Amino acid sequence: MFYREAGQFKTSYPSDQAIFPILQDRWTVITILVVAFVVIPLVANQYWLGPILTQFLVFSLAALGLNILTGYAGQLSLGTGGFMAVGAYATFNLVLRIPELPLVVALIVAGVITAFVGVLFGLPSLRIKGFYLAVATLASQFFLIWLFDHVGWFTNYDTAGVASAPSRTLFGALADAGGPLDFLAPINPVVSGPRAATETKYLLTLTVVAVLALMAKNMVRSGIGRTWMAIRDMDIAAEIIGISPIRAKLSAFAVSSFYCGVAGGLYVFTYLGNADTEAFGLTRSFQILFMVIIGGLGSVVGSFMGAAFIVFMPVLLNNVSSVVFGGTLSGDTISNMELMIFGGSIIFFLIVEPHGFARLWQIAKQKLRVWPFPY
Amino acid sequence: MAEKTFKDRIAFHQSLETLEVDFSNVTFSSVDEVDAFYDEVDQQLAKTGRRWYFLIIYLDCVIEPQVWERFAERGKNTNVKYSLGTVRVGASEETREEIRGRAKEDRFRSNIFASREEALFAIAERRKRQEVLVERQTDDYLRVEDVQLLFGGIRALDGVGFSVNRGEIFSIIGPNGAGKTSMLNVINGFYRPTRGQIVFDGRDRTSLKPRAVAGLRFARTFQNIALFKGMTTLDNIMTGRLLRRRSNFLWDAIYWGISKNEEMENRDYVEGIIDFLEIEAIRKTPVGRLPYGLQKRVELARALAMEPKVLLLDEPMAGMNLEEKQDMVRFILDANDQWGITMILIEHDMAVVMDISNFVVVLDHGQKIAEGVPDEVRVDPVVIRAYLGQN
Amino acid sequence: MSDTLFFFEVLIAGLLSGVMYSLVALGFVLIFKASGVFNFAQGALVLFAALSLVILLEYGDGGAIWGWTGWLALILAGAAGVFYMLSRRASVARRLVPSNWMVWGGAALGLIVLGTLFEGDKAMWRAAFITLLAFFVLVVGAKRPGAAAAVLLGLAVACLLPVGQILPGDIWNFWRSIAITLLVMVLLAMAIERVALRPLINQEHIILFMVTIGLNFLIEGMAQGIWDSQVHGLDIGIPDMPIQAIIDSTGLFISTFDVFAAVMAIVLVAGLGLFFQKTRIGRALRAVADDHQAALTVGIPLQDIWAIVWSAAGFVALVAGILWGAKLGVQFSLSLIVLKALPVLILGGFTSVPGAIVGGLMIGATEKLVEVFIGIPYFGGGTESWTPYIFAMFFLLFRPQGLFGEKIIERV
Repeated sequence: MFYREAGQFKTSYPSDQAIFPILQDRWTVITILVVAFVVIPLVANQYWLGPILTQFLVFSLAALGLNILTGYAGQLSLGTGGFMAVGAYATFNLVLRIPELPLVVALIVAGVITAFVGVLFGLPSLRIKGFYLAVATLASQFFLIWLFDHVGWFTNYDTAGVASAPSRTLFGALADAGGPLDFLAPINPVVSGPRAATETKYLLTLTVVAVLALMAKNMVRSGIGRTWMAIRDMDIAAEIIGISPIRAKLSAFAVSSFYCGVAGGLYVFTYLGNADTEAFGLTRSFQILFMVIIGGLGSVVGSFMGAAFIVFMPVLLNNVSSVVFGGTLSGDTISNMELMIFGGSIIFFLIVEPHGFARLWQIAKQKLRVWPFPY
Repeated sequence: MAEKTFKDRIAFHQSLETLEVDFSNVTFSSVDEVDAFYDEVDQQLAKTGRRWYFLIIYLDCVIEPQVWERFAERGKNTNVKYSLGTVRVGASEETREEIRGRAKEDRFRSNIFASREEALFAIAERRKRQEVLVERQTDDYLRVEDVQLLFGGIRALDGVGFSVNRGEIFSIIGPNGAGKTSMLNVINGFYRPTRGQIVFDGRDRTSLKPRAVAGLRFARTFQNIALFKGMTTLDNIMTGRLLRRRSNFLWDAIYWGISKNEEMENRDYVEGIIDFLEIEAIRKTPVGRLPYGLQKRVELARALAMEPKVLLLDEPMAGMNLEEKQDMVRFILDANDQWGITMILIEHDMAVVMDISNFVVVLDHGQKIAEGVPDEVRVDPVVIRAYLGQN
Repeated sequence: MSDTLFFFEVLIAGLLSGVMYSLVALGFVLIFKASGVFNFAQGALVLFAALSLVILLEYGDGGAIWGWTGWLALILAGAAGVFYMLSRRASVARRLVPSNWMVWGGAALGLIVLGTLFEGDKAMWRAAFITLLAFFVLVVGAKRPGAAAAVLLGLAVACLLPVGQILPGDIWNFWRSIAITLLVMVLLAMAIERVALRPLINQEHIILFMVTIGLNFLIEGMAQGIWDSQVHGLDIGIPDMPIQAIIDSTGLFISTFDVFAAVMAIVLVAGLGLFFQKTRIGRALRAVADDHQAALTVGIPLQDIWAIVWSAAGFVALVAGILWGAKLGVQFSLSLIVLKALPVLILGGFTSVPGAIVGGLMIGATEKLVEVFIGIPYFGGGTESWTPYIFAMFFLLFRPQGLFGEKIIERV
């Protein structure tokens, strides 16, 4: 009724190939962005902004990264946690060792470093396929985590093996009052460490995620995206039409790892406050993979939906169980129940819609398009 | 005298270089009859101005003793002038047996057979052996030389060679398992031949990888559709343009400059192909949902988007109904016409092959058993035997 | 002690622990070969089996463990089984069936609530577990209610058997507990088939893989919920002591237990090999693995096959659980040995039973040697977590389908 594309004629290829060719979609996205950037920081409390929304954004970014690799390029990876750890420790060491470096630049450089590591661990994908590859990617997971645990340099020789995120401003020390770039000082808030406001951290994360999500969408809808999808759908045919599997796979590993690396950096600097290998274990890898599968393989918006599901569901469960059972159950029981419900809901979702939220979303849009007269 | 005239009993088979004379149920009882017949034959042969294989059918033919001498004399004359070799059909089993026996003793070749088919086969064998085939005029655009492909002990291809002209429609036919698809796989680099070479446009490119072959603008469609199932029709066809991509992922990420311009140029070109193949309506449908015939068409579109010089079509019409076949043939001919694409076609529908091909090669058990223009191949008994079996 | 001797001792210890990895890998191979499912939940199955067994052993009395709500559930489920068996023939009863899942679901919920109210946390879990299993197996749609009812009946009988005890207490208790655990594993297999696999026939492999990760969490939670998360010792009467005779003759320290485990593994492999190659079910299994739809077309009962395979995997999990449990104690970390089995699996090839053994030996030896001679002296240890993977990965570079995996032939 109100979601109709009738009458919206495209007169050029650019407008036909826009991300949101339908006017209503454009308005929805603008509304969401306004709410996320303006309304939420104003109304949400610390609990919602910090642990929940920031965490959600960070995981969305990681899921987006994995989705590029698994959903678009078809290379199943179980090493996401390891790559996030690379990003986290790279950011930490960059910021620690070059104090002038603005956090955003540090994040990008860390992403690039992670991309190189990703390419390195992606090399086997040229020979190995399918589940063999999936298991092989666990090598990166375990090796990287072991590396950060056992080589003290990465944690700056912290006795507990924990790297605390130092306080840094958005544009770095150079933009502090009196520095060479002091005209930036008024808009140079502290974005990491204990002194940073939750709102600032949230906004920083949101900005990074929004920009990177847009870039991801651009990539998957243009040449590089088609290269990846061709390799995913039928690698032999792709080679015969002139696609280089080496470049396609390695670029997917690079881009995916970049995203995961930035997500890892953000996870430590805007959410956790310190880097600890525990946070990047195998469970994390699986969690991200679930987000991708539940959200929908090969869908940018699906990555966000999947992340939302995995982040919000336990919160919801906690609230529901505390209301319903009111503390009659032991903590042990609750944590086991959480495990079960988590596993159970994954099975349920896969059965109901193996193609994830993204497909449900499409169906819903289609229904809405023809509503209220389906014929 | 039989009811048919002599004129009706003489037939020329151009493709086999054979003159067939049907004497079945004829009785020669006078010298005049013999002369009348040979005059007619000589006259017709003189018109052709060349030599032929003679296939003479003597089934239930009676030559009475008084004309034997005359018959032999005229026959010898004609043979000396026009024959490349004579094969006869007829006589009783005993006579044939006797002649065969004599042939063995005197070491001459028995040339008398029980049926016309056997005789034709003998002619074909002889033609092949003596290599009297007229060499085809070729520009050697794509030349396949003595290609052998072994899988373990199996000879998928065994010494196959042929030459494709620029801009022609060249067909490879043969029974199932003959090695046709293997041949295409060798041509586009998916398999590397154990022996032999492939020369394209004067350059040896036997050992190139599929991707490099694609770089030489070889496109291909597949026997079992090899589309990218998760993508829309438009995206599938756009992948055909990836070969000439100048942008990289950084440009793509910001979707600006090179990336966007290139995207729009490609879209423009692809739209042309979509128009050409009449698939506007399914532009944004995921190909997995399309019916078989349309998928084949999209696959052709993807291949055409590569702006190919050589297009390898592996059974483009398999499993299609008549209308779809007609459409497909039209597209193939138009594409050949419009862009001058050289096409190598594998197809089982003989009517289509014979209609549209410029030249046909027949494979069986990995070997080339015949080649020629469609009319030659159509009646070649070796080919018929390969398709229908030994009997 | 000489260096060579030490080297060999490490090597042999590695090989023997590799056999233990193979045991877990076997469960994977079994399911992958038979259904094309990459079953990540194998570790959880091992945990579940071992935990069930050890707690049954500790109780010593199978009857008490379920609580009376559990018993009620068993009886109700048995009755349901009989009812459905009969309803196959009696049209009157069949007419009642469609609405019945509501009734049974209600009964299950009721029992769970009763258990919670009157018997506390654990009994609630156990009652819920049995009820839900029975519920899924029988009511929601076993194709063979007779078989399901038989399993349930067997379970009830096995629980009641102390009454008719004829062997000395310990041995009797041990074997009865194993029987009960096996029956529970079979029920679990049937339920997994019904709940997770049947709706996903013909889905892509990655989806099935994700489902097993979901199952992994579900079963892990369930195992700890129903039983507990303590560390339990499991004594199967075979000492983890070096064999004196070998020390005397060669000076090597080789544990009796490790040798026993190796023998068990070889017996299992031989048995499974026969099962796959020589039986009709084995052939059906291979057909299913190749193509679900084709197998269905030729009349192979997919559901039964899957239930059988998962039961067999449950059995292998039980054996692995017993051996690992006896070595390390039964605890949550048992489910993590799946991570040790994965490199074994890719090294040996997903579809090869002998591959699992050879892969296990190679991985076991490599990781021990690297840890002892490189990891501990130079890096402070811990290399065991990744050396198997790196080793397997480099191996795959030369043989992408693993040691014994079926060769991947690419066609167009």
